[in-house]
Amino acid sequence: MLQTTFNGIITGVIMTLPALAVTLLFGVLKFPNFAVGAMMTVAAYMAFALNAQLGWPLLPATAAAAVAMGVLCIGIDSVTFKPLRERGGITLMVASLGLGFILENIARFAYGNSARSFAIELARPFRFADIRMNHEQMITLGVSTAAMILMWLLLTRSPMGRAMRAVADNPSLALVRGIESPRVIRWTWFIAGMLLAVGGVLIGMDRALEPPMGSNYLISVFAAAILGGLGSPLGAFVGALVIGVVSELSTLAVPPNYRIGVPLCAIAVILVFRPQGLFGQPYIRR
Amino acid sequence: MSGILRATGLHAGYGAGDILKGVDAELATGRIVTIIGPNGSGKSTLIKTLAGLLPARQGEIELEGERLNDLSAPKRVRAGIAYVPQEYNVFRNLTVLENLKIAREFMGAGRSRERVLDDEVAGLFPELAAHHKTQAGNLSGGQRQMLAFACALTVRPKVLMLDEPSAGLSPKYMSDVFDKVQRVNAIGVSILLVEQNAREALRISHTCIVLAGGRVRAVAPAGEVLGMKDLNSLYLGDATLH
Repeated sequence: MLQTTFNGIITGVIMTLPALAVTLLFGVLKFPNFAVGAMMTVAAYMAFALNAQLGWPLLPATAAAAVAMGVLCIGIDSVTFKPLRERGGITLMVASLGLGFILENIARFAYGNSARSFAIELARPFRFADIRMNHEQMITLGVSTAAMILMWLLLTRSPMGRAMRAVADNPSLALVRGIESPRVIRWTWFIAGMLLAVGGVLIGMDRALEPPMGSNYLISVFAAAILGGLGSPLGAFVGALVIGVVSELSTLAVPPNYRIGVPLCAIAVILVFRPQGLFGQPYIRR
Repeated sequence: MSGILRATGLHAGYGAGDILKGVDAELATGRIVTIIGPNGSGKSTLIKTLAGLLPARQGEIELEGERLNDLSAPKRVRAGIAYVPQEYNVFRNLTVLENLKIAREFMGAGRSRERVLDDEVAGLFPELAAHHKTQAGNLSGGQRQMLAFACALTVRPKVLMLDEPSAGLSPKYMSDVFDKVQRVNAIGVSILLVEQNAREALRISHTCIVLAGGRVRAVAPAGEVLGMKDLNSLYLGDATLH
């Protein structure tokens, strides 16, 4: 039970970064980006290329992949989403589905379907109070916590973070407060790209690198973001932890293959009873 | 007195049709101008077009003789035009202090200073200091209006445009709002006001513009309009002032 809960926390922690990316993008751009799974996959393969193929240590490889993914996301936005921006959230959502399909298959085309792994040394797991923790899990915990603290500081302490929250809150008021929304949108994509890259590497460390690795997490990540309240960074964090722990604990009662049912049920229940999620604001049509 | 903000032959609207059909209007430097007119006359459309939220389809907008038509809304803000919308005029999920910081950081004064409001503006809104950490969405309607005002004034705009600032407020806050408008004007800000409470607005204004059917029907000294027996007819649609 304790071990399962710990594993659930790790699963949840892995999802915090992509869930935060989903919620940031939804907050600022007002559409659910279903390409986040494939974006994580592509970024993980970028880090893999630097780490396993060029021999870089994983940390700088991840940092370089994060920056590259941030820049790539800005480019993707300018050719894919920007021309469709005025057509509404549904059009953008469908475009993101198509984009995800393309990105995942680019990864498949380049690296094939077989599972790969990062070039990291295997280390003996250590035990603490009957919980077995391996090094990858500790790295995941540390990196995600650090990234969440950095994101919190960015969103609450920096002018650009405040501007991102302002655009998410009221885009038209943001314009008359002097906020240039194209600049805010570019920064949002860059930060979301970095979060997705780190999330992709953490998933690759936890499981293995394969083309559907990101999209396998898609439902859980969206469940986390919806549970927390789309547009709420704190909500993404809490939602991811809750979904992660509950999904893992569910394996005590149902076969692991049905674990995916937990986030699906969570999405259904939240949308019926509290569509704004735990920390989101009720949607106001202006 | 020279005009600080001028619209000439302005056409604007939503969808296929024009709501503004050739509006000529001017705000003189240091003055308060109130625009009145019946619902649907284009008052809010005019103010939104001046702010850059709606494109001008025809006509010219000038601030101190400089053409504004091609400037985006954020650039117009930095040129000196502040706009307070009627509703949703604060960022509800941000604190009072964050609202003020955003205004100072992005409306033209660069990075946030230690104090977000200078003494003169802070003196106009003493109640805000006690609520710096409050989420703006939790403020009362009147307090939100004051915060919106303060945000617009963080950078001392040349022109302040207010869209129905007294709408939905209690009588106490309503008189407070008009008092604040006068005091803001006294520190050198020219004010363009759209208001349904015409009598209250005209009492503090220098000039009145009557808008009906997307056109300017009359421009007159506010005192003269206020003295008219059939004032109601001006904003109920029967504009007969010449």
